[in-house]
Amino acid sequence: MNRINQKLQEDKKLLSIYFTAGYPEINDTVSIIQDLEKNGVDMIEIGLPFSDPLADGPTIQDSSTAALKNGMTTEVLFKQLEGIREMVSIPLIIMGYFNPMFQYGVEAFCKKCQELGIDGLIIPDLPVDVYHEKYQAIFEKYGLINVFLITPQTSDERIRYIDSISNGFIYMVSSASTTGAKSGFGEEQTAYFERIGNMNLNNPQVIGFGISNNETFTQATKYAKGAIIGSAFVKHVTKHGVDSIDTFTNSILNA
Amino acid sequence: MKLKVCGMKYQDNIESIAALKPDYLGFIFYEKTPRHFDTKIPDISDNIKKTGVFVNAEIGTIVEKVNEFKLDAVQLHGEESPYFCSILRSTSLLSRPIEIIKVFSVKEGFNFEVLEPYENVCDYYLFDTKGKLPGGNGYTFDWSLLNDYPSTKPFFLSGGIGIDQIEAIKTFQKSDASKYCYAIDVNSKFETEPGLKNSSILREFINKLHNKKTMNYNVDDKGYYGEFGGAFIPEMLYPNVEELRQNYLKVMAEPEFQKEFDKLLKDYVGRPSPLYFAKRLSEKYNTKIYLKREDLNHTGAHKINNTIGQILMAKRLGKTRIIAETGAGQHGVATATVCALMGMECIVYMGEIDIARQAPNVARMKMLGAKVVPALSGSRTLKDATNEAIRDWINNPVNTHYIIGSAIGPHPYPDMVTRFQAVISEEIKWQLREQEGRENPDYVVACIGGGSNAAGTYYHYLHEPDVGIIAVEAAGLGIDSGESAATSVLGKEGIIHGCKTLLMQTKDGQITEPYSISAGLDYPGVGPMHAHLSKTGRAEFLSITDSDAMEAGLELSKLEGIIPAIETSHAFAIFKHKTFKPDDVVVMSLSGRGDKDLQNYIDYFKI
Ligand SMILES: Cc1ncc(COP(=O)(O)O)c(C=O)c1O
Repeated sequence: MNRINQKLQEDKKLLSIYFTAGYPEINDTVSIIQDLEKNGVDMIEIGLPFSDPLADGPTIQDSSTAALKNGMTTEVLFKQLEGIREMVSIPLIIMGYFNPMFQYGVEAFCKKCQELGIDGLIIPDLPVDVYHEKYQAIFEKYGLINVFLITPQTSDERIRYIDSISNGFIYMVSSASTTGAKSGFGEEQTAYFERIGNMNLNNPQVIGFGISNNETFTQATKYAKGAIIGSAFVKHVTKHGVDSIDTFTNSILNA
Repeated sequence: MKLKVCGMKYQDNIESIAALKPDYLGFIFYEKTPRHFDTKIPDISDNIKKTGVFVNAEIGTIVEKVNEFKLDAVQLHGEESPYFCSILRSTSLLSRPIEIIKVFSVKEGFNFEVLEPYENVCDYYLFDTKGKLPGGNGYTFDWSLLNDYPSTKPFFLSGGIGIDQIEAIKTFQKSDASKYCYAIDVNSKFETEPGLKNSSILREFINKLHNKKTMNYNVDDKGYYGEFGGAFIPEMLYPNVEELRQNYLKVMAEPEFQKEFDKLLKDYVGRPSPLYFAKRLSEKYNTKIYLKREDLNHTGAHKINNTIGQILMAKRLGKTRIIAETGAGQHGVATATVCALMGMECIVYMGEIDIARQAPNVARMKMLGAKVVPALSGSRTLKDATNEAIRDWINNPVNTHYIIGSAIGPHPYPDMVTRFQAVISEEIKWQLREQEGRENPDYVVACIGGGSNAAGTYYHYLHEPDVGIIAVEAAGLGIDSGESAATSVLGKEGIIHGCKTLLMQTKDGQITEPYSISAGLDYPGVGPMHAHLSKTGRAEFLSITDSDAMEAGLELSKLEGIIPAIETSHAFAIFKHKTFKPDDVVVMSLSGRGDKDLQNYIDYFKI
């Protein structure tokens, strides 16, 4: 069974952390992954940086720009991840935009992911229908889970459609925003979390965008299987470097 | 076999269907059908017979419509008697000769003897499916019944014919039953809604009917131009883009919308823009050069055609807040202008670098009441301004419309922008007919940033093989200099700002920074339609350096008294690189005026 599905079956709320590969330094990738696993994180999204990350706010855009300047590329990331499965067993997801994958070759990309032990992909600008029509068979051939986003504006009908095509979890974007834009959840969001919770979807939901501390993590996981933290973590390593990842995870999990 | 397309209703749609060159177009004058025709017929080719369809109408009514709409044929769909047909045929009240088509509804057991009395009083029969309605029932009858056709009069085959019947039609064509079949009549099976025909499916039908493998240069139903286009957008944008996709054609086809759009183009923008024969430039390059004067539009460029269209669209969709990106500031000004006109909130994203190099336009936008927000990320130019606008839209999904300024972005933007800009070639057609006695020039030429003035200039000529299409890109300091924006040469297939197209990128798929002296051509991608035109060879792509463009701008100023925008100057530099024949007619899109670029010209030429 795919490591993501296995993790989702565990009887606990999941913490998933996003970081930008190649940031703050080009060779931080492996040690960040190891530290996150060691400190009780449940899933990791490895951000493959892109020059024009449309769905991201300034924090992740800046870390991406810096990572590209540091020399991060698809090839470099794959090289860094060689042997990663001898070091960690945590589910690993690559999150990136479609163009770099398209240039690498979608099939070659998926094949490489399987070889390295990557479990899934999140590609915000690969629309569900294009995936379904052109790429689903390839993803499945290489045992990769593709994760789709839904937002407060997504219609019930479309959520059902996305649910029918998903085979891991659904990434619930907490509000209409880019990453890192809002903090804290209001009534509108909790109503939306409840609405989705009540739809009894086949795939569990993990909430992302706007989770930054213990309070928002606890709030989100009241309604969903887990929560994803991105910008707040990137800010943390910007400020405190990569040696104090434990202070960050502790502040989320053991507050 | 000839083709008749029946049940036409909307002006734009009539024009796009007429561009497919059917032999007959039908207009139904019968109030009980949703396809009832109650507007004007636009100017279409004389080779298309305009056919009025009537159901038990009075002779007087028919005569009146024939004279008013200059109909070439009358199709009688009711119980009109042979005597009625003979009166209609001989009445002196008609201002023009007409063909009479008498309709019979056929089902099993149809008695062909009923035709006999009509043999001498009509020109054609039309066989339709017998159903509840007088036509438009949406299914076919058993065509083998026509094996018993006793007459030699040519007939139209009608009733529920769609693209699915192609094979059946081909089989029918080979059978004896089709011996006198003169034409095929289609209607409801090609509709998006009653009266609104889908031109791309119809084109496919026509090509299949004629076994032609002609290329389609328009967008298809899925939003692609060949392999380019589509909507590669994050889910956060899906509701906005989908709302637009579902509504744009419908809204644009509404007579009220068209009326308002046309009126504003005329009274506010100042259209039609002149088509000016450039005598001295023509003499210098020994060919016939016409200038399509988009520079004379209000705000000084073609951009306003699109912003007028889109703001009306935004209003129809109930939006209250407008965002836009801009490079040179022309689109920003055009957007700020229409927002002032409509009293809507306007936010324009502009790269920090462009803000510095296009100061007068920034001031204009502010005067017009817009908020100009600097894009501080990446290269701080047009690409980054576009990113910021898209992010804004993600954060404001309900009340905001994003007015994209070129023929780029996710479907339906490239097609919508193209349709709003298509007024350019629509006018060129009749203006050239007036001046040269023909609608088609030998070449149409335009500069390409994202490709909106080009798309509008080419639109009505895309499927006219005798018209050469020339696209001019910015080579910056030279194709191989590393400082260029010549996407068709340097670009590779990829995804930028929501569409698959040609774009400049690293091997790793990171989008690279373009360079051009003109802020409006300084974009690393090109609209998907142009990627398709380039890939299929339909258009010839030329790239022009900064210095050639500047010289051409100066030359046009001196020869014709017209100072062009630097974007536009690129198009005029082709005469240095390409020779035309003396009797070639070359139509140039003069996309904008040079006021905004004066400082650049001054600095460059040390004036
Ligand atoms: C005068 C003028 N021409 C051409 C362009 C290029 O845009 P497009 O390729 O969309 O026509 C611009 C863009 O700012 C412009 O201002």
